[in-house]
Amino acid sequence: MNTDLIVAVIVSAIAYGTPLVLAGLGELLAERSGVLNLGVEGMMLMGAVTGFFVSQQLGGPGWAVLIVAMIMAAVAGALMALIHAFLSITVRVNQIVSGLALTIFAGMAGLSSYAGQVWGIGGQHGLHQLTRVDLFGLGEIPVIGPILFDQDPFVYLSWGLVVLVAWYLYRTRTGLYLRAVGESPRSADAMGINVTRYRYVHTTVGGALAGLGGAYFTLAIAPIWTDGLTAGAGWIAIALVIFAFWRPDVLLLGAYLFGALSSLGFTLQAHGVQMPSEFFSSLPYLMTVVVLAGASTTLARRRIGTPASLGVPYVREEG
Amino acid sequence: MSIHVEAGPASAESATAGLVPAVAAIGVTKRFAGGVVANDRVSFDARRGEVHALLGENGAGKTTLCNILTGLYHPDEGEIQVDGSPVRLHSPHEAQRSGIFMVHQHLSLVDSLTVAENVVLGWSRHRGLRYTPRQVEAEISEIAARYQMQVDPHARIWQLSLGERQRIDILKALYRDARILILDEPTTVLTPAETEQLFSSVHEMVAAGRSVVFISHKLPEVLAIANRITILRKGRSVTTVDAAGVDVRELARLMVGHDMPAGRVRRAAAGSGTPPADQRGVLELERVCADGDFGIQVLHDVSLSVRPGEILGIAGVAGNGQRELAEVIAGLRAHSRGAIRLDGAELHGGDPRAAINRGVAYVPEDRMGTGVSPSLSVTENLMLKSYRRDAPHAGPVLLMDRADAQSVALMEQFDIRSRGPHALVRQLSGGNVQKVVLARELSSQPRVLVAASPTRGLDVGATEYVHGVLVDSARRGVGIMLISEDLDEIVELSDRIAVLYEGRVVGIVDAAQASYEQLGMMMAGAA
Amino acid sequence: MIAIERTLDTPRWQRVALPFASLLLAAIISGLVLVLSGHNPITTYEQIYTASFTSAGALTSTFVYATPLLFTGLAAAIAFRMRIWNIGGEGQLYMGAIGASGIGLLLGSWPTPLLIPAMMAGGIVAGALWALVPGLLRAYLQTNEILVSLMLNYVAGLVMYFLIYDSKSYWRDLTSPTALVFPTGKTLSAAATWPGLTIGSFTLPLGFVAGVVLAVLLLALVRSTRFGFEMRVMGDSTSAATYAGMRTRRIILAVMAVSGALAGLAGASQIGDFGHVLDPRGLEQAQYGYTGIVVAALAMYNPLAVVVVAILIGALTNAGFALQGPGFPPGLVGTMEGIILFSVLGGEILGRYRIRIGSQLRPQRAEAEADAAR
Repeated sequence: MNTDLIVAVIVSAIAYGTPLVLAGLGELLAERSGVLNLGVEGMMLMGAVTGFFVSQQLGGPGWAVLIVAMIMAAVAGALMALIHAFLSITVRVNQIVSGLALTIFAGMAGLSSYAGQVWGIGGQHGLHQLTRVDLFGLGEIPVIGPILFDQDPFVYLSWGLVVLVAWYLYRTRTGLYLRAVGESPRSADAMGINVTRYRYVHTTVGGALAGLGGAYFTLAIAPIWTDGLTAGAGWIAIALVIFAFWRPDVLLLGAYLFGALSSLGFTLQAHGVQMPSEFFSSLPYLMTVVVLAGASTTLARRRIGTPASLGVPYVREEG
Repeated sequence: MSIHVEAGPASAESATAGLVPAVAAIGVTKRFAGGVVANDRVSFDARRGEVHALLGENGAGKTTLCNILTGLYHPDEGEIQVDGSPVRLHSPHEAQRSGIFMVHQHLSLVDSLTVAENVVLGWSRHRGLRYTPRQVEAEISEIAARYQMQVDPHARIWQLSLGERQRIDILKALYRDARILILDEPTTVLTPAETEQLFSSVHEMVAAGRSVVFISHKLPEVLAIANRITILRKGRSVTTVDAAGVDVRELARLMVGHDMPAGRVRRAAAGSGTPPADQRGVLELERVCADGDFGIQVLHDVSLSVRPGEILGIAGVAGNGQRELAEVIAGLRAHSRGAIRLDGAELHGGDPRAAINRGVAYVPEDRMGTGVSPSLSVTENLMLKSYRRDAPHAGPVLLMDRADAQSVALMEQFDIRSRGPHALVRQLSGGNVQKVVLARELSSQPRVLVAASPTRGLDVGATEYVHGVLVDSARRGVGIMLISEDLDEIVELSDRIAVLYEGRVVGIVDAAQASYEQLGMMMAGAA
Repeated sequence: MIAIERTLDTPRWQRVALPFASLLLAAIISGLVLVLSGHNPITTYEQIYTASFTSAGALTSTFVYATPLLFTGLAAAIAFRMRIWNIGGEGQLYMGAIGASGIGLLLGSWPTPLLIPAMMAGGIVAGALWALVPGLLRAYLQTNEILVSLMLNYVAGLVMYFLIYDSKSYWRDLTSPTALVFPTGKTLSAAATWPGLTIGSFTLPLGFVAGVVLAVLLLALVRSTRFGFEMRVMGDSTSAATYAGMRTRRIILAVMAVSGALAGLAGASQIGDFGHVLDPRGLEQAQYGYTGIVVAALAMYNPLAVVVVAILIGALTNAGFALQGPGFPPGLVGTMEGIILFSVLGGEILGRYRIRIGSQLRPQRAEAEADAAR
């Protein structure tokens, strides 16, 4: 394979992976606090439809419209997550059930579709679209130019957020407290950390990032709205968080790996190597299962970092 | 000297110092639902620069008192003072802000975080959002050096031994500049060398003007470390003594009390039902060793024998291997060495079903969590073990109507009061739950019954009922192992008494002749 | 500050009234949504009712959606009741569809009365085996079954895509010229079509009948057999089950296998009752496996209630598709479903708890509760 082809694969993997990075970071934050949210697909769709609607409604310079649209997409995702937070944290509904209910509510045949219809944005062609920004004119550099310096703002944003989340988790006190809450809410509570507040905040912020990830589809990839246009990206984002074992740096690489593997089969076929693309696509999932199974001892499980309280509601002083 | 002297804050011992105590409990009373009085007008005070020991058996009220000092519980009467002024503590966090820090028996560290991360959890010396590992690690190393503790700030908690974890909890207290440290049974998880290290750290702490409240039931170490000792018994503070002025014998007497309360009779002395001494044991343990939950060996070469019709009492302060002993016999825990024999034939470890089938009945200490399935009905709980063979059935189908009829008969026989066989067990009172457990275990015609703390938390009536059932079963030839922290109960019911201390049988005595003083010394590791 | 405390007992009337109160609340909230978007709630509800039950062919298509939900609902109910979180119903359904269609193609010449049980067996075995992967890992290695069963859903989906779109597999139609350009599965022979129960213009799918029979059997299994007894004890307290000498690993495996078998039957019914062809896109978009979990939760994991809830959700889903078009927004039904789910889920738990608004849980109360829990 020549370098052009490799660059093309990487660039397309980045395009594929960017919404996964955004939504995955959000899910990572929620799960780090102990809240599993299976409603990512619904939150992304709400972000996508809201972002597109706002971008169609507002007047003004394109960049300002797009920024407001992104903010509103994040707000829409956060509102959805708030429902899940209330049900799973306060009312203590089973997190799996509550998250799935959120997917039905907001998903392809739910509120996102309804909103698209009521707002009448179905057949519209978008007025604004985020395009590639050639940073400092460095996009011309061979190989690394198109990969690192000629991307749309969402991609730069996702990189910034990965750094930010990693810094937050490992270098701030609140990030440290967050990890403690997800790992042992009882100890965290005993140390005066408000478990409920941490879970609410991070679930909600997680929803905002999912909304942003959804908006990538309607504001950057293609400025149109159709029902269910995220096409399962929310589900893949959930798998990605598990694949990354709850680490933001691995999550970034994992998102691009998912993207690269999904197109690798076709690329190889074009070069006469007959390997089904499904084989490559299923590798990350199978690898994750193998690692999860291999990490069967408690010690190994701690090393890979599954938040120990994931999915378990915290009830003070009971049992 | 009277035993029931109330030690007030201004008792003779503390009058010598004109100083205001760092922390004091004054007439603290705590009652729980069901009328249990866990603390009854308890008073003690710890001065600056003092190691003050709280000594007592389990159930004496030490844990409740600690929970009050750390803000988990509220006293119903009395108050807590810090530096002479009353405080109301609503949470451990508030207690920490008042300078009180408890180093827990069940350590409250987050396993997957590093030492440094755990130390700054919930409180940092530095303002602002940032957490700078290098800075915190340096501070920790500095404190550790000052108090002669060996600590690796980078290590993750799960990599550490229990003793090391305790050190981290102490470090956490020192990092927060706690002025009053409560150490709850700190040496149970330590090796002798670690204990020595801990003691030298404690000396450094008090030398720096801090106060240490040292909770223990081990007499030798209390005498070794404490300046003064407050003895708790049955929820009351009996007295406060200077460590320099007492010996082990005196402390043991104060801790376990004089003799049985009036009106209660030793069954063994009354000569009722003692089996002939030459009879072979129905249950025999030969040099049994077993590990505890953390992989540390907790039973060491335990050899015991229970004869048919005999009640063998197992005395000891909780946490000395009693739970593991019961679980090993019931098949819930595998033993690592030694042999368990039932009717002369070996019982292989770690298989509860085999133990049940061979006739081992077990009344577990954790009644609600293990002994019953709380959301199931009385009938279903009565057939929890018999459903495999004896419960009414047709093929794989259980005939619940007939099972209900059987359970009504059992409920009558064992005086279980509920709304009927369909009532859920979690809706029953503690006494009735225990009767359900006993009814199930005894209706299976067992050869041996292991009863672990069978009357804990029960009211007087239910306690008497349970005692009656145990005595009655022994009379009918069941070999009974009665494990209890209540020495009165052990002495009253047993034929022989074995004392467990740190996982070893330190002695077996005839219950008719055993003196409280002798038992107390054995239980406290002083014999 | 809103705090929720557990109450030990719920009066019976409250338990009966709560679901209805929740449904009423859902209707009111949905009504508000409708009014806000310029629709008349009453006529919309009427439309939905007609499209679900009374208009021509409506009832038949309601059961088209209710049947898979019945199976996946039962699959989730049996596992979740035991606190085994099998969220792999989706993948187990795909595998069941692969298994049943494989058998249906292979034995297409068999007479229908033999072929139907064979296809069902194919679905059952495939679904159960797929579920046993997380089951075995959970039973022997304590691996989190939520994560493993979720991951295997994607793999099962990819297997399905591979068979139809990316290989010359036995399942793929390789004969017709169009099928070479637009890949589809082989259509099963007429003998492999499961006959429905026809009453007038209404056809009840065989799968639904089987599902109801299974629901009754499951209820009987849980309520009156030794195995069901073990399941109930384990679902309530694992330590009590161990104490009673139950073989907890075997119980976990059995429950996972039964759960997977039921989800596999959902896949088999998709082939035999409705599709007659392995259609990866259709199965994936329907998300019956995930929706089944919500159905089970609404039914409070009671198998007979699953039958009722599956019909209700099936009816709503059907109305959504039937009414799609100008004047009836496509996403409305999903939105309403969501609102119903939220209010029933929230309401059900609120029945078991008491809401306190205002002061924080006071330590004294907390400790009394801890005491009661002991």
